[in-house]
Amino acid sequence: MCGIIGYTGTDESVVDVLMTGLSGLEYRGYDSAGLAVSNSSLAIHKREGEVTALEAAIADERLEGTSGIGHTRWSTHGPPSDENAHPHTDCVDSIAVVHNGIIENYRTLRSELEADGHEFDSETDTEVIPHLIKAARAEGAGCEEAFRQAIRRLEGSYAVAAVFSGGETVYAARHESPLILGIGDEGYYLASDAPAFIEYTDRVVYLEDGQFARVDPTGYVVTDPRGAVVDTAVETIEWDPEDAGKSGYDHYMLKEIHEQPNAIRKCLRERVTEMDATVSVSELDELDHDGPVQFVACGTSYHASLYGARLLREQGIRAQCFLASEYDTEMQPVGGDTLVIGVTQSGETADTMNALRAANRAGATTLALTNGVGSSAARECDYVMYIRAGPEIGVAATKTFASQQVSLALLTGVLSGQYSSQEIRRLRDLPDQLQRVLDESNARTVAEAYADAEAYFFIGRGYDAPVALEGALKMKEITYKHAEGFAAGELKHGPLALVTENTPVFATITGDANASKTLGNVKEVEARNAPVVAVTDSSSDVAQYADHVLEVPAAGPRFTPILANVQLQLVSYWVANGLGRSIDKPRNLAKSVTVE
Amino acid sequence: MDSISAVVLAAGEGTRLRPLTRHRPKPLLPAATTPILERVFDQLIDVGVTDITVVVGYGKNRVQAYFGPTYRNVPLTYAIQEQQLGSGHALLEAESAVDGTILVVNGDQLVAKRIISDVLEGHTETATATVGVLNNRDVEEYGGVLLENGDVTDVTENPETDGNHRLNAGVYVFEPEIFDAIRSVGARAGEQSLPDGITELLRSDAIVRGVVSDGLWVDATYPWDLLDVSFDLFESGLVDGRRRESVATSATVHESAVVREPVIIAPDCEIGPGAVVGPYACLGENVTVESNAVVERSVVDMDARIGPNATVVESVTGVGVVVGAGTTIPGGPGDVRVGDRVFQDERLGALLADRVHDRGANTYVPGTIVGPDSNVSAGTTVRGTLPEETEVRT
Repeated sequence: MCGIIGYTGTDESVVDVLMTGLSGLEYRGYDSAGLAVSNSSLAIHKREGEVTALEAAIADERLEGTSGIGHTRWSTHGPPSDENAHPHTDCVDSIAVVHNGIIENYRTLRSELEADGHEFDSETDTEVIPHLIKAARAEGAGCEEAFRQAIRRLEGSYAVAAVFSGGETVYAARHESPLILGIGDEGYYLASDAPAFIEYTDRVVYLEDGQFARVDPTGYVVTDPRGAVVDTAVETIEWDPEDAGKSGYDHYMLKEIHEQPNAIRKCLRERVTEMDATVSVSELDELDHDGPVQFVACGTSYHASLYGARLLREQGIRAQCFLASEYDTEMQPVGGDTLVIGVTQSGETADTMNALRAANRAGATTLALTNGVGSSAARECDYVMYIRAGPEIGVAATKTFASQQVSLALLTGVLSGQYSSQEIRRLRDLPDQLQRVLDESNARTVAEAYADAEAYFFIGRGYDAPVALEGALKMKEITYKHAEGFAAGELKHGPLALVTENTPVFATITGDANASKTLGNVKEVEARNAPVVAVTDSSSDVAQYADHVLEVPAAGPRFTPILANVQLQLVSYWVANGLGRSIDKPRNLAKSVTVE
Repeated sequence: MDSISAVVLAAGEGTRLRPLTRHRPKPLLPAATTPILERVFDQLIDVGVTDITVVVGYGKNRVQAYFGPTYRNVPLTYAIQEQQLGSGHALLEAESAVDGTILVVNGDQLVAKRIISDVLEGHTETATATVGVLNNRDVEEYGGVLLENGDVTDVTENPETDGNHRLNAGVYVFEPEIFDAIRSVGARAGEQSLPDGITELLRSDAIVRGVVSDGLWVDATYPWDLLDVSFDLFESGLVDGRRRESVATSATVHESAVVREPVIIAPDCEIGPGAVVGPYACLGENVTVESNAVVERSVVDMDARIGPNATVVESVTGVGVVVGAGTTIPGGPGDVRVGDRVFQDERLGALLADRVHDRGANTYVPGTIVGPDSNVSAGTTVRGTLPEETEVRT
């Protein structure tokens, strides 16, 4: 999981472009960064830490050239360090390579190269690539041919870009890792994702798996694995580059929490009509499915899927949920009558992509529910539904979770073909109710009261169960404190042993018919002297048993949990803020996880 | 000037607009359906402003979430004034975000772009400050300026009606000396005011120019003024109230509904069968007007819902208001009570603040104000000025 950028142009701005690109890609990893600029030799700089560390390191350097590559890293092979940072080079620093993905056969390749006398500086899988290219060059191959020969040896996933000393050309290839080509007025860009160069151009070519690209200041060429030139379509992407600013908030996460009412408005726009009781999602006009549904997802998206599967089951549709990394079509009854829905914010999540590819191979119909327009998931699935949340920069997912839930409610309407005007009214009321939660929340007070707790537990039943899981995940991600979420009934089957007076229990009890049962669980933890924080729409009398109450408006049994989750987002945010955590870039995590 | 930097003062609550300002500042209240501040930004960008610093304070989350980091591709920088200690203090909060000559305007008043461009053009090289001035206006509620051959000789906040002071339009161009001037004059009654800073410039013999201009200048002093603001916008043409221009494409209007111009219907609205909307109706985003309801000469803010057969005339609603089935708000004139003051014969049917929930079959006596989050049970006659979270029962 990393971000790569390449640039070649006539305007001598290569270092600026690369540094801007790395900042735009930092959400993909930030434990080290580096760049290589090609002129008569290769100038290579890399540093452990965030992009700002690299920026400081090159502040006094005069780096000149017309082409270069850069990388921001999220470690998979070898800890974060200056040595393990990309770009990597061959023995004589004549070739520099950046890579996102995992080379599965790198041990074999490395032994082979070492036997031939190549010397390695790092522990990374990537370093085999420049040495392979060098070996091919030594055999007499030209730059492009050597690059192709090296790529052909690789097994695994990769987006790779390479430059040669003295050359103006950047060579690139992709297989199961994202890579796009940008076409600017003064040069050409290669990057893992559009934010890397959106400041300069919005014209892009989406590269497909197996394709190679070659860019120099005069133009670009895309070729297939055999070297034949491919006709490519140039697309214009819609993305406001300034959307990447914090607009006065201390953190992207807080900004994104506050953007939720508007994100939901956009998600619903032109998709519901209350007076006719209709739900229509234009991307899914052709979808006519009448069979079982399987969800595949990871992390927060998995919690959204649990919610979506429940919505579908309530309409009589057979729906199951799988962790994408555990989804194995050999073990699941998946066939032509199954709809497999991949829920992924970025549309690039490697685990989810693998599950979707397996489902495609098994003959299932696949649907991507994603925020990533033009992402791998969007392109490889039979159908795509966009959640329209807008860019999310904070690593901890907030507004995209709300938009996923609302999208899943819409999808339920599409698949079941029945949604009452009452339900649609409730959906249309959500933006204002969510604004009300933001306007009136006392989550900060609650967070301050429990900032020193040893651990945090979250419970809920039915539609409130995914809220409990997501509440705990948010708390873990950004506070680094121990937090667990459970279906409320599970508490007494083990976890209760962990409950003490120093472990607050957050109980979500909304309009669900099982509220009274969760109330029983609340009394169980009260008896162990644990502080109780109730998140409730006042549909039960939980408030009288709770030490603190986080109120939410009533939005019916299906939608009130969406509001309850926002209160828990705010609690996690304020706990983490009080602890001085790196909220937008928590340690060890990255926004979009493109490795298995 | 190639690039023009503007500072917009938008940190104050606008307490006279209560109870509409319970959760958001006056700059976010709707002028027709668009926040006042958004219209201020529009005027600035139309005259060529290239970057905007917004001073925010009260309800800042709402402002930041609404506008984000840019508006019409112009970057927005937010400067935060934690405590509202006067207009001069607010400007000081923006000091570190700006450089060189700045244009300063208020974020809660609508000023025609002509006034702004006149002030920009009237700022000469020798001037330290230039102030926009309007003739023939009532100065008592606002600030006044005395002019002598185009030079400002006096600036004051609440001038006597001596016939000599003209209206300070709240549009300024300043050189950086203004910051030291504000600082050196210090606070008066706990507040540092911008006019005091200008007075300090005059005392130090700096040149302060006054530019007399003319054009639309609208300020909502009281909540019901939002109705007049919307009328002014329609009449001046700043808002095109013709149906084909002003009904959002994402709005759904039933074929049997009647839409009477001028009108504005924002995105995601639903207008049910037999409903009559307009003239002079402004429906914010995601407003629902149900079957056979009537809405005219009213400003209905986002997410509100007017129930079946309800009648809403000359009224202002906050966000998320529900007017139940069969409720009647027949319109003004009526007496409005705010604190100890009574405003007689105001054209106000009713003012329902954010998330008032009317259960239906109610009648509102003209001039009624209902505070936020109040519940009005069915079958009541509602009158007077009710505080927030009131439970109104028959």
